[in-house]
Amino acid sequence: MILPLFPLSHIFLGLAAIAWRASARATLIIGLIVDIALVAIAFSPAAHCLSSTVAGGWTDVIGIRLALDSLALDLLLLTVLLELAVIIYLWRQRLRPSFVILLQFLVGAVMALVLSQDLFNVYVILELLTLVSFLLVAYDRRTIQIWASLKYLILASVGMSIFLLGVAVTYANVGSLGLAAIQQAVAANPQAGWIPLAAALLVAGVSVKAGILTFSLWLPDAHSAAPAAISAFLSGLVIKMGIVVLIRLAGVFPLALVLQILGAITGIGGAIYAMSSTDLKRMLAFHTLSQIGYLLIGMGVANETAARGVLAYALAHGSFKALLFLAAGAAYDAVGSTEIAELISSRHRIPLRTRAALLLGTLAIVGLPPFDGYIAKAPLLDAAHGWTNQILLLLLGIGTAASFAKLLPLFKGPYRRVGNDPVWESYVVLALPIVLFLPIERALFGPAIILPAMNWVIALESIAVVATGWLMHRVYRRLSVRPSESLFRLEPGMFAILLGFVAIYLLLRLG
Amino acid sequence: MGWLSGTTVAMVLFAVGTTVLIVRKDLVIKLLALGLVNSSGILFLISIRFQPQMEAPILPAKVGSAIADPFPQALVLSAIVINFAILALSLVFVMLLVERYHSTDCERIEHAVETEKAMLGRRDRTVNPSEGDTREETR
Repeated sequence: MILPLFPLSHIFLGLAAIAWRASARATLIIGLIVDIALVAIAFSPAAHCLSSTVAGGWTDVIGIRLALDSLALDLLLLTVLLELAVIIYLWRQRLRPSFVILLQFLVGAVMALVLSQDLFNVYVILELLTLVSFLLVAYDRRTIQIWASLKYLILASVGMSIFLLGVAVTYANVGSLGLAAIQQAVAANPQAGWIPLAAALLVAGVSVKAGILTFSLWLPDAHSAAPAAISAFLSGLVIKMGIVVLIRLAGVFPLALVLQILGAITGIGGAIYAMSSTDLKRMLAFHTLSQIGYLLIGMGVANETAARGVLAYALAHGSFKALLFLAAGAAYDAVGSTEIAELISSRHRIPLRTRAALLLGTLAIVGLPPFDGYIAKAPLLDAAHGWTNQILLLLLGIGTAASFAKLLPLFKGPYRRVGNDPVWESYVVLALPIVLFLPIERALFGPAIILPAMNWVIALESIAVVATGWLMHRVYRRLSVRPSESLFRLEPGMFAILLGFVAIYLLLRLG
Repeated sequence: MGWLSGTTVAMVLFAVGTTVLIVRKDLVIKLLALGLVNSSGILFLISIRFQPQMEAPILPAKVGSAIADPFPQALVLSAIVINFAILALSLVFVMLLVERYHSTDCERIEHAVETEKAMLGRRDRTVNPSEGDTREETR
């Protein structure tokens, strides 16, 4: 009965922070200690006996089943890692109690979602995540933030309504909302007429939250406007919650083809916009999209290695994307802008450790060995059969490298010490998994998963991809073709959700 | 009138709501349409397991009569509360926007925010960040 403690401890700590506002910061530390203890228990050999439970002792038909599978373990680890880094990052700032409360609820909701095995429970937690991140994005009350987060709320709410319709269709035909029961019903009659409709509604609804083009057109604005620590949380962790739900749905419905197509659109679209973006935080937000593309293509491949590779890449992406966002925030504090040109021209004002963190994050995200981006991408490259997948993954890698090549002048001299960098401890927390990913991955997913990373063909391929990306950057910056940004307004976003739903439905119906 | 059931009404409401969300530019009307979309989800959920002859699932029901499935009706309570919270919070944010721009017109606000974003980039480049940065005081 230990599983409900994961989310509940944070909800209670959030309530405690409301009651004793003066000691709100202390609840962050308590929550962190509780999480570390719980995750340690979850990883201990005794954990298999608490791996699955129905909350409150209800029957399986109407109860909410919580399960601690490898997906949940992976994301719990990521949650604790990011929690630690973000708390260190925020520690020297003056935090308002309401900020702490929202942060507690955010972590609690994330933990509840990764454990949940019940569709309606998933709906409620996704809505809770929407509300909490809506408030956190606009926490500084700047107009840009308010508009970005209002757009997010409207689009996410429509998406969740679509998800609720899917939940209703599923319940009408299965009579239960537990994932196991739905899986049995689908397996018993895979040709049933309700399956494409329910799957399309559920996938379209959750895609709005998962950072998938063309459903998540709110993402670049919201993730780049949010305060740095919140961006790190949203991009590293909260966006993965949609992916978690998609992984669970892919275990129930036949979604491989849909996920591959969505992955191709998301990855290539995100990379193209990232290449033309001139603002560091906005570029990072677009790269959240492109890296989600990797995860989706990996999920679409649907074999054992790819599934583990997806989990490993989710963990790796969380660590380096959070590092990049935190370092971008520190660079903004030093320079007063996140425009890349401006950062480069006043790079002497950025603290050295922040520049080192940006460099490490860049090396990891473009997939250079021996950092975690490469180690986690290698199983995906290895498992992706067929030339379409291979070409897609290579194109994605080239796009990523081409857009991060813009940052290279940032790392040129002079290397003088400027002030002291108050948040470097949080960089260390995130840099550890980036550098030491091989043993972590081996311990989490077994020794077979690290074999592709040891393959020198894949290593050379990754280096060649990065080199090609750099060449492409040299070519691209001479061109004046830039994709339009008006796509990311409210009405196109709304329209794209509906259109995407129809497309997914037709794909499932006919394919 | 066999076609006139909760599910068909819900689908019509959903279509109307999303159309208004796309077509109309006024933010308050957009939020009303959002309420419509959310309500359509709720209506759909409670009417999927219901037929006109069914009794409400409240004891004591008439013996031998069919009873509507109580499970969606229990679920729908959370959905209603969530939708209330979403509408309330988004109205607060619309109020903040109206205070600053004196308009609820979506296009105008979008235009103003975009110019502000462009201005911000330029101002930060010229002004010393320790003076121009308002982030410290709002935290």
